[in-house]
Amino acid sequence: MQQLKSGEVNLGTSIMAVQFNGGVVIGADSRTTTGSYIANRVTDKLTHIHDRIYCCRSGSAADTQAVADIVHYYCQMFSQQFGEPPSIKAAAELFQKLCYDNKDQLLAGIIVAGWDKDVGPSVYNIPVGGGLFRQPWAIGGSGSTYVYGYCDATYRENWGRDETVDFVKNTLSLAMSRDGSSGGVIRMCVITEGGVERMFIPGNELPKFWEGKEVLAGFDNLTKKAVVEPEPMAVE
Amino acid sequence: MANASFYQSAGFDFSNDVRNQFLQDKGLPLPKATSTGTTIVGCLFKDGIVLGADTRATEGDIVADKNCEKIHYITDNIRCCGAGTAADTEFTTALISSNMELHALSTGRKPRVVTAMTMLKQMLFRYQGHIGAALVLGGVDSTGAHLFTIHPHGSTDKLPYVTMGSGSLAAMAVFESEWRPNMEKNDALRLVTAAISAGIFNDLGSGSNVDACVITATHTEMLRNFVKPNERAVKERNYKFRRGTTAWKMENIRSLVVDETVTLIAPPVGGDAMDTT
Amino acid sequence: MPGEMAHHPQQRQFNPYSENGGTILAIAGRDFAVIAGDTRQTEGYSIQTRYAPKVFTLTDKAVLAVNGFAADGNMFVKKVKQRLEWYRHAHAKDMPLRAIARLIQTMLYAQRFFPYYVYNILGGIEDDGTGAVYSFDPVGSYEREACRAAGAASSLVQPFLDNQIYFKNQKAAPGSAHPTHLPLSTVIALVTDSFTSATERHIEVGDGLEMYIVLASGSSGQGLEGVKGLRELSTKGEAERVFVIRRDLKKD
Repeated sequence: MQQLKSGEVNLGTSIMAVQFNGGVVIGADSRTTTGSYIANRVTDKLTHIHDRIYCCRSGSAADTQAVADIVHYYCQMFSQQFGEPPSIKAAAELFQKLCYDNKDQLLAGIIVAGWDKDVGPSVYNIPVGGGLFRQPWAIGGSGSTYVYGYCDATYRENWGRDETVDFVKNTLSLAMSRDGSSGGVIRMCVITEGGVERMFIPGNELPKFWEGKEVLAGFDNLTKKAVVEPEPMAVE
Repeated sequence: MANASFYQSAGFDFSNDVRNQFLQDKGLPLPKATSTGTTIVGCLFKDGIVLGADTRATEGDIVADKNCEKIHYITDNIRCCGAGTAADTEFTTALISSNMELHALSTGRKPRVVTAMTMLKQMLFRYQGHIGAALVLGGVDSTGAHLFTIHPHGSTDKLPYVTMGSGSLAAMAVFESEWRPNMEKNDALRLVTAAISAGIFNDLGSGSNVDACVITATHTEMLRNFVKPNERAVKERNYKFRRGTTAWKMENIRSLVVDETVTLIAPPVGGDAMDTT
Repeated sequence: MPGEMAHHPQQRQFNPYSENGGTILAIAGRDFAVIAGDTRQTEGYSIQTRYAPKVFTLTDKAVLAVNGFAADGNMFVKKVKQRLEWYRHAHAKDMPLRAIARLIQTMLYAQRFFPYYVYNILGGIEDDGTGAVYSFDPVGSYEREACRAAGAASSLVQPFLDNQIYFKNQKAAPGSAHPTHLPLSTVIALVTDSFTSATERHIEVGDGLEMYIVLASGSSGQGLEGVKGLRELSTKGEAERVFVIRRDLKKD
């Protein structure tokens, strides 16, 4: 299988897609790195494939952009020829074929999600190597390894839109806080029959979870007093 | 079949690859390509794009060119800064410039920045990073002002301010602290100059002068050597050599004019004539 | 994600050395020596500092320039200075230049299998009052010379010096001979031009130039008058006199 070439741009990534009754919610962090340098801190990893089909990209930026561009092209050709949009399954199978047939040359982990009139909302996961799996929810990228447990413990069927959006937002925030190569802002899309709604969570408004006790005392400028008693990390 | 020596197909010629691989295995290192160690930048402002570049080209530790041009012409309204292997940036931008002209001729429309970006990324992706061109592409077209970075493997980013090359970190530090949306032209030009200067003075791969290029909907202004903060110091002595300094062992003077005497030979009277029957 | 799949063998090793760029140079005259170095210290494509001296006075008549790995260079100078102080305490006089040269040789060779990653050039005045330059390799091989350049731009500067000091590839005018010793003003000009030129074409050379001048006892010091950035380091009454000239080099 492919490894990242030296100097290649990496989407060190946390990505996610979740199905709900009326549609899908997809989300991603916004960090692109070359080694330890953040080449882009506001990347849009939610890539338009067709009117109601999007993909989340992880792995090599060059590889995933090239593959997404090709699938985008085929989907345009499809709708021109047949006068109707391609199914999510068709788009996902196109991705899968490209990823599997060229697995020795690609580093691409892609989640395809969207809505079509035949099956409604669907999420397909295409991990590195070119497998194809339909799932109610999928996570991907280097940050995903930190949040499998959280997703397993939290996800419920028959959620509504808002609960699903919160689930994606919380999961990505947790992944971004643990994974060094994920970070920045959260970008999300809600794809339903009615359209695609984009959402944006700035880096300073990410949902917060337990971040450890204050090691250095917080300082209140008004009272000139330590707000929290400093508690040094235990050293055995 | 046509012989390779008189038939050249289009594209790269790989016929020396086997020999070069053999020599490399024997321990002969490849010749060093001139690299543009480089700081290149671009930023969006109210009416368009400002691109910037330093002018140093290096071969390892040595400065190969003190005043080279790194802002390449694509079309009248699109320019591209190149970092990485000098030859690669020169040829890819020239090729895409040519293809953009043909594209504009065949479509009858003014060329777009995304078109150049797509051509460049598809070419660089096809060559899997072996073409070492790291580019900053900017321009103004019918859809507005656009600014892209293109990495050697073919990935692209669209951002309001971008930097590339070995001085990109120094230049990005300037942008991250001072760039604002909707800047005036002169403020943007000053910012680009500051970003390039940060590269020139803090990155050893970058140096010499600042080149800039301002692109708006109506006009493109190439500001070659916009700032020259590194003029050469005046020498203390002059190094003219006395005539006769160089020793010589022998002198040989020879005329390059070839003298020829042509003797006309008259045909023998009644001699053999050619048989023309 | 890519790290999980690293399966081909990889070799890793701790490297205690680095290379910090810059160039040093010394020229001996009849009754003086000039020892110079730029002040830029680099690592890779970054400048660590624009002012890190590479030239140090050891005694009233000996100056040492060190170039290569800066940490080793600084430690080496420190240890040489310490040995010279011990010598002063034991013998109530400064060590002669040729003895310092031999001391440096033994100190370098003592580290034969974990060498100081530095090129040393020692300049100063011998006991007989002549200007001298000693150059060393990192493990202690040394010789006395009239001039020597070392460091990053040595391959640019040394051929220039060979041509201008030793008059290599230059035929003297008919009926005359090349001088064996150059006057101080010429040497200062050549050193300055060496560094401004190296700064033009070598990326690791620049920022500042420090040029030390050691005059033998009784030397007139002709050629120093009116030189910009000149400062005398020796106090009046010493036999030999030491001066330093500091000037800017390009900073790109």
